Amino acid sequence: MALLINCPVCGKRNGYEFRYGGEDKGPRPDDESLSQASWCDYVHNNNCVAGIQKEWWFHKDGCGAWFTIYRDTRTNLEADTSADTSIPEVK
Amino acid sequence: MNCERRSPVTLPGRPARSEKRDGWNVVLEYEGESGGPLLIDLSHGRKWDLQDVDIARFKPFGMSIPDDPGQSRLENGILINRMGRTQASIWRLSEQVPDDTADPAFTETTEGQLLLALAGPNIFSITEKLTSLEFDDSSKVTPFLLFGPFSHVPCQTVVLSRSKRDGVLLLACSRGYGRDMTHAILEAGREFRLKPGGENGFAAAMKEIAG
Amino acid sequence: MDRLKDLPTLRIRTEDKVSFKYQGRALEALGGDTVATALFANGVRIFGRSLKYHRPRGLYSLDGECSNTMMRIDSVPNVRAETTSVKDGMNVEAQNGLRRQGFDPLGFMDALSWAMPAGFYYKVFHKPARIWPVAARQIRKAAGLGVISPDFEMAGRYDEIYPHADVCVLGGGPAGLNAALSAAESGLSVILLESRPWLGGFFDYRSKLHARAAELALEVANNPGIRVFTNAPVVGTYSDGLVTAFQRGSKADCFDERYIEVRATSTVVATGCIERPLLFENNEKPGVMQVGCAHRLARSWGILPGKKAVFSVGHDLGLEAAIDLADLGLEVRCVADVREDGQDPRLVGELQKRSIPFYRGWVATQAKGWNRLRSVTLGSVGGAHERRFDCDTLIASAGFTPVWGPIALGQTKMRFDLHTGFFLPERMPQNMYAAGRLLGLCDPASIEASGRLAGLEAAAGRGLDVAARMSAAREELEALPGTVRGSKLAMAPVKGKKAFICFDEDTTVKNIDQALSMGFDMPELIKRFTSAGTGPGQGGIPGHNLPLYVASSMRYQGEVRPTSMRAPLVPVLVATYAGANHDMAKRTGLHESQQAAGGVMERVGVWIRARRFSQEKSARAEVENVRNNVGILDGSTLGKFRIHGPDALKALQRVYVSDMARVVEGRMRYSAMCNEDGCVIDDGVITKLGENDFFFTTSTARAGVTAEWIRYHTRYDDWDYSIVNLTDAYGVINLAGPNSRKVLEKITDADVSNESFPFSCVRDFHIRSIPVRAMRLGFVGELSYEFHVPASFAQSLWEVLEEAGKELGMKNFGLEAQNTMRLEKGHVILGSESEQRTTLHDIGLGGLWSRDKARWKTVGAVALTHTEHQRGRLKLVGFKMEAPASKPPLDGSPIADGRVKGYVCTARYSTALSQPVGMALVEDELAGEGCRLPIFEDDCGGRLLYAKVVPMPFYDPEGKRMKS
Repeated sequence: MALLINCPVCGKRNGYEFRYGGEDKGPRPDDESLSQASWCDYVHNNNCVAGIQKEWWFHKDGCGAWFTIYRDTRTNLEADTSADTSIPEVK
Repeated sequence: MNCERRSPVTLPGRPARSEKRDGWNVVLEYEGESGGPLLIDLSHGRKWDLQDVDIARFKPFGMSIPDDPGQSRLENGILINRMGRTQASIWRLSEQVPDDTADPAFTETTEGQLLLALAGPNIFSITEKLTSLEFDDSSKVTPFLLFGPFSHVPCQTVVLSRSKRDGVLLLACSRGYGRDMTHAILEAGREFRLKPGGENGFAAAMKEIAG
Repeated sequence: MDRLKDLPTLRIRTEDKVSFKYQGRALEALGGDTVATALFANGVRIFGRSLKYHRPRGLYSLDGECSNTMMRIDSVPNVRAETTSVKDGMNVEAQNGLRRQGFDPLGFMDALSWAMPAGFYYKVFHKPARIWPVAARQIRKAAGLGVISPDFEMAGRYDEIYPHADVCVLGGGPAGLNAALSAAESGLSVILLESRPWLGGFFDYRSKLHARAAELALEVANNPGIRVFTNAPVVGTYSDGLVTAFQRGSKADCFDERYIEVRATSTVVATGCIERPLLFENNEKPGVMQVGCAHRLARSWGILPGKKAVFSVGHDLGLEAAIDLADLGLEVRCVADVREDGQDPRLVGELQKRSIPFYRGWVATQAKGWNRLRSVTLGSVGGAHERRFDCDTLIASAGFTPVWGPIALGQTKMRFDLHTGFFLPERMPQNMYAAGRLLGLCDPASIEASGRLAGLEAAAGRGLDVAARMSAAREELEALPGTVRGSKLAMAPVKGKKAFICFDEDTTVKNIDQALSMGFDMPELIKRFTSAGTGPGQGGIPGHNLPLYVASSMRYQGEVRPTSMRAPLVPVLVATYAGANHDMAKRTGLHESQQAAGGVMERVGVWIRARRFSQEKSARAEVENVRNNVGILDGSTLGKFRIHGPDALKALQRVYVSDMARVVEGRMRYSAMCNEDGCVIDDGVITKLGENDFFFTTSTARAGVTAEWIRYHTRYDDWDYSIVNLTDAYGVINLAGPNSRKVLEKITDADVSNESFPFSCVRDFHIRSIPVRAMRLGFVGELSYEFHVPASFAQSLWEVLEEAGKELGMKNFGLEAQNTMRLEKGHVILGSESEQRTTLHDIGLGGLWSRDKARWKTVGAVALTHTEHQRGRLKLVGFKMEAPASKPPLDGSPIADGRVKGYVCTARYSTALSQPVGMALVEDELAGEGCRLPIFEDDCGGRLLYAKVVPMPFYDPEGKRMKS
């Protein structure tokens, strides 16, 4: 957790101020279309890429925002996010 | 019947002067304050949380909200800290004009948070023993807000002024940490002769900032 | 012993006498001494006994790379004497069975070494398995790295510090000092960490370079951009410029040790080098020491390492030391250099001038003597010639080995450089720059220049335009001598059995040979099998020699790689990691008065709460008082939130299982939150304050993560709502018992009759002049009011209530009494009656779930549908003990057919029912009413306790009392 994470509100901070929120899998599908298997797939199965992945983080010791970053899972360092514009609005 | 209000913070000093204000017992000055940094309890100061999608439309106390998260604005004893895209905190640091916080977007948080000030020489040598927050970040202009862990507790910290290791810093966190937070700060500050200070000490520091 | 005087390099203060104790004897040291130098000056030569063979061990280096000099100091075991400053009144004791110098009852172990080949413990003591516990105890007793008692408490002052800098320079030698200066001159803030008590590195103790070291140190001290930490060894380097270290303090500091965590943009690694131990027969006898050890002993501490010395070295620094020590009064019998050529001719000339015999291409092959060195045999590297010399000191070194730990931790591979014989980094980790020895440099001027360049590289990495200065620095460096050919000798030409490659673990070269012949061919595997390098010194002694020796054995076909490095690079006290150790807990506004009332306080999550107010653990009197009269409880820790904004209701619909559209003003609604698996995680009440404006409570444990949870589960929805955590903003006082209304009526003008303020309603009114939000809830099953009061008023309200309740005999009650009463009512506490896998259905709260709100995608709803009728789950049941006189099972498990069938959640003696009752999660076949539960618990003495499943609640099933 020595990595620095770029919080869209607070800027670069120590990784241990944050909580990991999992891979970005997109919004949950509607209830109607869900079988037990597809629901389980959405909730529990991960891609576990060895490389750059988009993932959720929560700034627990700071502003309390959920946001996404790109992280290289091989180096455990944040990848350049400047290309990504889909960082959600902070509530 | 006794209906007094109690601060979450008790400083281990002998009050030299104090006054009753709105049910609070406010210490204005402690014995032996001079020379050295002060730790001052400002928990009785009123505080509000303001959240709205269109936060810029609010002009609390006639002030506009700072544009970007992390920026603060201090005018006439009112401090507004922009916390996020839709959130700001407002701290009343001195007795002031009537409140202007009737809109449901405001929530009073006076009771939920303690508010402490660290003022004087070497305060940033004290804080670096308690947090890795970068108060000496040269890209930031005072006053500014850093929202992060201070002695392991999430805090809103506002640097009002700084010059090398000296300055004025405000710190707000959950009220329940009153005893342990004060204890941690005083302990860390012992080598720098940190002492309990009264509200007047803070007023003097504010006057200095105002120039 | 008389110290050398008037050397400009001395680091001792002769006028400053320090007295300390060693093995009960009072000894004298000088200010500036380490424990090791003080002992050496007092004639101590045997510092410890080795782990396995109990061989005597002495001073070998001075930086604590091995366990030779570990001592018990002021009751703390395994303190490195070499890096600990001696202090007045210090009590130093030898460890490892070293009772008297020169005699060790287990010394005979050395003669049995033939019986203990590599992997001996692995292979011998595990068959049959039952002998291992016995054997382990005996082995530990014999080996024993110090003794510590289980109730030992670490004395001392510990602190922590988290400074920032643009550049962090590791190492305060000539390279590091120059790097710090050139970075600071570029306008950057610099932190410099040096493990020794002073700056200067290998310049400091050398007659010709000492002045230069002092000059650089002064320049650094006068530069306001540089912050120096001496006595501060680096512990680890991590990603994004995080460097951890610790610092040893003196009396003048406010700490004995403090943890340092630096965050820097760039790191300059200028850690220099240590010496590569020379491998030969008995290479670790007391009297054998490294060049730097002997040289610094004389130059910094004024102690000559012996009387008659032989040198066997592999680098020019060794020749320089021989000349310098000879001039200081040491009788140098001869100098052997493993290198056939390549020596500085000036140094060779100086040796000749002093008539010191010089043997090129020769090396020490054997040391003789028992507790003390008597003679040394030198031989030519080819093995053709041999000569023996009597001496009491052998100064031995195979060459240098750069300290690469901080770089290796940056996930960089080290490769063997054929020219220098060093392991050098393949490439530098991001934002890390090397200087000095780590570039393979040896020449003092080159090392300084490389430091200046590294400082500029760090500045460039920080985005500063220093291109011109950098190219100038590079040119300067290129004009100076480059890397020097180093000695690659792995092993002197001997067939000995006692050439130690690792001192800590008593691993010999022969052990490595055994491992090789068994088929281990990678240094990493051989390290584990022979335990070379796994001792307290880690890779300090064998780090370089092990891979080199394995490679030279010709069995290993791959590239020569050193074994992995891990943090901590140097051992750190756990107390130092704990640092100032501020224990941050929350106290309610009523804390002091609860404590004053005799409350037994305990930590519950982040809070400190009163468990009970009676001596008696079951708090029965508190229960009876609430059931029959009126009690008062501090419930301030309850989570409290306001949620408001246009989409507030949507957010609540998402996380609560009930239909939140049915929450109305003036009434409380109980509901629960589940996770995606339908497992229940929180419960609480919700009330409406206005349109899209709600107030809700959560359990104490969940308050810290509630906002996070709601925001997480709405993160893809662009909903406009705001959450404010008001947990600490309100004190909560619970007034409970049939007489509670009588108390309340005395102090408020509000109509609190059952008609106008009925059960499960919420009202805002004043008690005296204090504003309260009152809720009628029934957690303990009696008429009860929960007052939410602005926290600053909590103590005043408490006093008002106390005063009003006095004549009725109102008493405090705590968590224990509350727990018993809510159990009697069958009310659950999540985390007590539920665990990770417990769904809303399992605890019988399925009724809270509204199944017709699919459009809100309520968290857990899908799983609740799938698991509603699932078989094979643990279900919550109430039980009564069959024997009313039996004690309640505190914990334990129902057992059937020899299998665990669930577990007891809570069980208490119920005064109301005059028998023990409880709740348990049991497999569904045991969950039917009337089922018999055979319960096993720890202290049931092997006799199962029997209980019967009964319907809940146990007490007042219709809820008449709480609704009265």
